[in-house]
Amino acid sequence: MKPNNYEIMIAWRFLIKGRLQTLFIILGIAMGVAVQFFLSSLIGGLQNSIIERTVGSAPHLVISPEDRKPGPIDTGSAAVKEFRKAAIEERPEIFSWQQYLLELKKDKRFTYISPVANGNGFVLEASTVHPVRVKGLLEPDGPGIYRIKQKLIAGSDRFSGETALVAKELANKLALVTGDKFILRNDKGENVSLIAGGIFDLSTATGSSLVVLSLDRVRAFFGVDGVSAIEAQVKDVFEAEAIARKYSRYFTRVKIESWQKTNKEMLAALSSQSSSSYTIQFFVLFSISLGIASVLAISAVQKSRQLGILKAMGTTDISSARIFVVQGFILGATGSVAGIGIGYGISILFIKAMGDMIAFGLEIKTSYIILPVVLAVIASTLASAIPASRASRLSPIEVIRNG
Amino acid sequence: MADNMIQVKRLNKVYGTTIQTHVLFDIELEIERNTFTALIGPSGSGKSTLLNCLGLLDPPTSGKIVIDGQSFSDINVNKLASFRNENIGFVFQFHHLLPEFTVFENILMPHWIKSGRPGQDLIEEANRLIDRVGLGDIKNKYVTQISGGQQQRVSIARALINRPKVIFADEPTGNLDRETGAKVLDLLREINRENNTTLVMVTHDREVAIRSDRIIELVDGRICRSIDVRSSSKESEVEMLESRACVLPDSGQT
Repeated sequence: MKPNNYEIMIAWRFLIKGRLQTLFIILGIAMGVAVQFFLSSLIGGLQNSIIERTVGSAPHLVISPEDRKPGPIDTGSAAVKEFRKAAIEERPEIFSWQQYLLELKKDKRFTYISPVANGNGFVLEASTVHPVRVKGLLEPDGPGIYRIKQKLIAGSDRFSGETALVAKELANKLALVTGDKFILRNDKGENVSLIAGGIFDLSTATGSSLVVLSLDRVRAFFGVDGVSAIEAQVKDVFEAEAIARKYSRYFTRVKIESWQKTNKEMLAALSSQSSSSYTIQFFVLFSISLGIASVLAISAVQKSRQLGILKAMGTTDISSARIFVVQGFILGATGSVAGIGIGYGISILFIKAMGDMIAFGLEIKTSYIILPVVLAVIASTLASAIPASRASRLSPIEVIRNG
Repeated sequence: MADNMIQVKRLNKVYGTTIQTHVLFDIELEIERNTFTALIGPSGSGKSTLLNCLGLLDPPTSGKIVIDGQSFSDINVNKLASFRNENIGFVFQFHHLLPEFTVFENILMPHWIKSGRPGQDLIEEANRLIDRVGLGDIKNKYVTQISGGQQQRVSIARALINRPKVIFADEPTGNLDRETGAKVLDLLREINRENNTTLVMVTHDREVAIRSDRIIELVDGRICRSIDVRSSSKESEVEMLESRACVLPDSGQT
């Protein structure tokens, strides 16, 4: 089916001599592809930004102790009752966390793996108490997961002993600046005096009342013997769920949850956003194809005289069909390449025009360029089928006889 | 037996399905190799239809056409197209050039169709051909920018590029003034003699027809008479020129 040189030459000349008609259809394809490219990079950028905000500075996987299921207390022997009562009251912990850590560190898909100790406490300020979440992190992976270094807005990112890092919102509420002292109270009513060494901003709801201390300090203060959880980040955020499932099979005494499981609704929103974008793109592509088909169909009528002459001179039916397929291909290729250029221009103008109004950049991926180009070329070539078959069916004598 | 380039047996052509128009009736014809034949006849006599059938552009309704020993009674359109490309040249009254291409490109088109991009040899040959038809100065002009006579010479050069065995010309001078027409006719005559190309020409002009080797006159889709110009006397030529349309023997007309 490879076109001959002369078919390409004739197709090319028909297009070149078509001037305005060719220009308009190329522009039509270009605008369609530009819209596709712009839409893909806009939605891609938006989704990246949403995902980054959700999991960029948060664990992708959390390994936590299994939920305890309290049974009825008044059944069984006294010893069993006693045991169950203890089990309910006992703080859920992972005791053999070091073994888990050892095992997980072998997997190269993890970027950070760190044990954490969590506690709920209060910060006392004059006569009021502010509930806070206290997190004990282990250097260096712990702060790595939360990107403490990047999120720091004042002071130092070091935390050890009595030096703590305080979330921005909490610091504002307490009017804390770095170097200030504050009192933290645990659930048993014990107080400890801490120094605010640094202030960070995670920009998440859960991170707004966070106090970060060293792992050992939290374990000691909240009476955690093991650790509260093991948190991890992975290279490809979308692989988290698969990794979680894999380890769930090995580690039966803990539960492993990925960010995808805890953010189901957000992911559903993202995926429906993607679907609506694909739907728009499909119809854009569809209308491009209709445009090409109609322009080439008109061209096949306009060029029937030339086709008749060519056929009289020996052009075969399949050759005359290919002249139109080649035209479709050329239109698709030129239009879509121009479209990527225009789309890129629109994207840059959009970013400039929106300025600070949008908090995300556009995502420009190779696939956003290649996919619309390939699709437009395929669609244009397919759209040429109708004029091609018309050209193929044309009999030279119709043209010759009618002058 | 004469060396025939074209043989036609019981050729019939009917147009239309519901309303049928019978255009050619049982045509029997032999055209000798390397001769120049003129098909004449009044409008509607079927001379152009016969030419298109002979040129394998229009399939006959029935009958057999043999060109250069090859029979074309039942052959597929693509094979016909290839045969036309390699063995037949056409010159039409309305030139039928491709307006998107230059003079030079139009002339080379049959070669492009046959074997793709022309080599140096062929380009040189095309240049010789262009000089021969006197278009050297305008070869890079688009065909829409040149005169009718020049266009007809382009179409003659185009008909010659693949060195065809036979050239069919439909009213080649019909659209040209007398002087230009005469030049075109001289060119055709010259090509017929020098290239040993069989030439079949349709014309309604008896003065043009008289320059050929043989005149075949069609009336109402039938061959009415055939005159060998080469062996005929001056008187019969004059009679031929002055006579009105030939009368079919069985038509009952006077």
